[in-house]
Amino acid sequence: MQDLLAARSQMAVSLGFHIIFASIGMAMPFLMAISHYRWIRTGETVYLDLTKAWSRGVAIFFATGAVSGTALSFELGLLWPKFMEHAGPIIGMPFSWEGTAFFLEAIALGLFLYGWNRLSPWVHWGVGLTVGITGVLSGIFVVCANAWMNSPAGFDWVDGQALNIDPVRAMFNPGWKTQTLHMTLAAFEATGFAVGGIHALLLLRRPASALHREAFKIALLIGSIAALLQPLSGDRLAKGTAQRQPAKLAAMEAHFHTENGASLILGGIPDLQEKRVRYAVKLPTLLSFLAHGDFHAQVKGLEDFPEKDWPPVLIVHTAFQAMVGAGSALAALGLAFLVLSLRRSRLLLHRRFLLAAALATPLGFLALEAGWVVTEVGRQPWIIYGIMRTAEAVTPMPGLVYPFLLFTAVYFFLAAVVSWLMLRHIRAADREFPSASSAEPAGSGSPLPEGSHA
Amino acid sequence: MPEIPAGGSAMLWVVILFLGVSLLLYCLLAGADFGAGILEIFMGRENRRAQRDIIDRALGPVWEANHMWLILMVVILFMGFPLVYSSVSTYLHLPLTAMLIGIIARGCSFTFRHYDAVKGRSQRSYTLFFIYSSVWTPFWLGVVTGALVPGGIDPAARGYLEGYVWPWLRPFPLALGAFTVCLFAFLAAVYLIGESPPGALRRRFARRAAIASSVAVAAGGLVFWAAERDGVDLAARFMGSGAAAACVVAATFIMPVLWAVLGQQWGWAARMLAGSQVTLILGAWFVVQFPILVKMGNGRDLTFFNAHAPEATLDQLGIALIVGAVLILPALFFLLRVFKSSESPASGGH
Repeated sequence: MQDLLAARSQMAVSLGFHIIFASIGMAMPFLMAISHYRWIRTGETVYLDLTKAWSRGVAIFFATGAVSGTALSFELGLLWPKFMEHAGPIIGMPFSWEGTAFFLEAIALGLFLYGWNRLSPWVHWGVGLTVGITGVLSGIFVVCANAWMNSPAGFDWVDGQALNIDPVRAMFNPGWKTQTLHMTLAAFEATGFAVGGIHALLLLRRPASALHREAFKIALLIGSIAALLQPLSGDRLAKGTAQRQPAKLAAMEAHFHTENGASLILGGIPDLQEKRVRYAVKLPTLLSFLAHGDFHAQVKGLEDFPEKDWPPVLIVHTAFQAMVGAGSALAALGLAFLVLSLRRSRLLLHRRFLLAAALATPLGFLALEAGWVVTEVGRQPWIIYGIMRTAEAVTPMPGLVYPFLLFTAVYFFLAAVVSWLMLRHIRAADREFPSASSAEPAGSGSPLPEGSHA
Repeated sequence: MPEIPAGGSAMLWVVILFLGVSLLLYCLLAGADFGAGILEIFMGRENRRAQRDIIDRALGPVWEANHMWLILMVVILFMGFPLVYSSVSTYLHLPLTAMLIGIIARGCSFTFRHYDAVKGRSQRSYTLFFIYSSVWTPFWLGVVTGALVPGGIDPAARGYLEGYVWPWLRPFPLALGAFTVCLFAFLAAVYLIGESPPGALRRRFARRAAIASSVAVAAGGLVFWAAERDGVDLAARFMGSGAAAACVVAATFIMPVLWAVLGQQWGWAARMLAGSQVTLILGAWFVVQFPILVKMGNGRDLTFFNAHAPEATLDQLGIALIVGAVLILPALFFLLRVFKSSESPASGGH
């Protein structure tokens, strides 16, 4: 395996793994805060049980996310030292703020997880909410740095050196707003539907369970709102991409020929030799509208760029289709959920609806991973768009295939262990919490303290 | 020794201070968390469960926060001293990778052990991963740190071994790795006295701390021996600087006091003394190294003054660090107060 490809693959595996844990770390604290709030307000034990059941799962996800994130902060240097040497001073600023936010998050999480008997209820609740807020801030700061790689700003590039560095302008680069919004919504959407889907599955097996019913409603509420907002944020992001990274947009759409009133292409397989897309559905003039807000606007095709500057079209196009497809399905499901909820319809807990939600469990994360493939692969061959090529940034150390295989093995092993732990966790929660199997929780007996079960 | 330019920017000094403090706090706090895992190897058969529970309670709420000092160091290096970050991560790729695998294994196995819903046979696997990664990770941390000193890193080196293996596979880094393991175990042994209830268990922790301190001293001797073998005139440099020599002398004089305190099983007093010793050792180290960050084989050493980022970047980094400290320190204090004072069993002395 070629060193550059090995390095890119290691980065892809590491990011692809980490992003799942990071997203859950961003969104779950808010789901817990809703449940926790209801417990303090109503005193119904189902909410206490739910908060505790969720928090034990989150502890596992957070720790895994923290260590895989640490690995990433080193891997940036291990794999791309030339990139970090130049980018560090320019785009280090959001990372320095991320360090603060992440630190506060770790402190707040320790207080939250172990604070049940030591903090007053509202302080404890506030601490839990702080985990979520600092988690979202961490995510935003990191994505600011990624946005800079897509739309570099805040320096002058003179003879391979960055001069006149302005870290503030670099952090608030033209892409930061749209990209951070899209990612934050994605985290809530993916987590909401994944968690809601799992509880829907459990509800199908135990329809009387109050815990799973409340969990399902809270998770899908968050997921649905995010899923309905996501197309709007995606539209903003696509317009920005059309302006700043026309080659990426062309690859997303497999749009080969520059034209006015360009068609939107759904599905299909791009044929690079013939420069056309086979088996695709074409919606006339829609791409021009989506990219520039005008049905007759000109959309640049890949032919306008030298072929050595093309991103891998097949991957980017397919990933983009997968993201939009999964996102649309979730938006439809989310709309149905919100309508049914507002009408307080009993259909909300109908087997068919629960089945649909259960089937949608992986879709949010599928869309999220596909979206990152679009962003990262779509930026190729550049590591800093238009400034530095990925091939120039890679470490000179030979034999990169070995670290790639090592990290891949570690992450697949960890993914398997975490999945297995979640299964055990769900089974144990069913035994431990009465509200997991019965409709009306018995009394308000105080649940078992941390760690005393089994 | 490179010149220290007069009146470098004030923010540079802020950044240097934060880098030093982060390293110190990482050793004092996260180091002890690793040390606790190391000590689990020597727990013996008796009271094993009770000892492990003490370690679990001591680490659980704080280890993730303690780990953050490492993240902070990484951020300071790549934003403030990008050339240092890129050189180190290029030429020390292998030991850094080894360390990362250890960080992942330690954090995950500790968390899984605590949060696995079924406390069954899998606990043994988590524990195995936890204790061996607790030895493995600080060893490589020490190796990486040690490799910055003898000048083995050389961008002009040709060949895989010369470029990527010999810079760290040599006496001094390996000895520093071993010393780091012993030092962290020593810290943990001392801290755990205050975490344990008075009685047999506490006596046992105190005895173990006394042994650990002797082992750490021996390992320190090993570092000096390895330094001479590696062409680093460490002893001469320590003695050549007044401040460094004073630190070493003070750390040595604390030893008998610490032993006396360990005999009395005074948790907090022992913590303060052990913490001061490590602070003095790191302080002395900082003094003799200053201002060199990485000694390079080609003679172009990377220093605080020739490898730093432009002013505008240092300003932003300094601001972020100061604001961060204002937010983090009270939160950290609150965390430690909630978990390290109220319920921790009667701490003697203070």
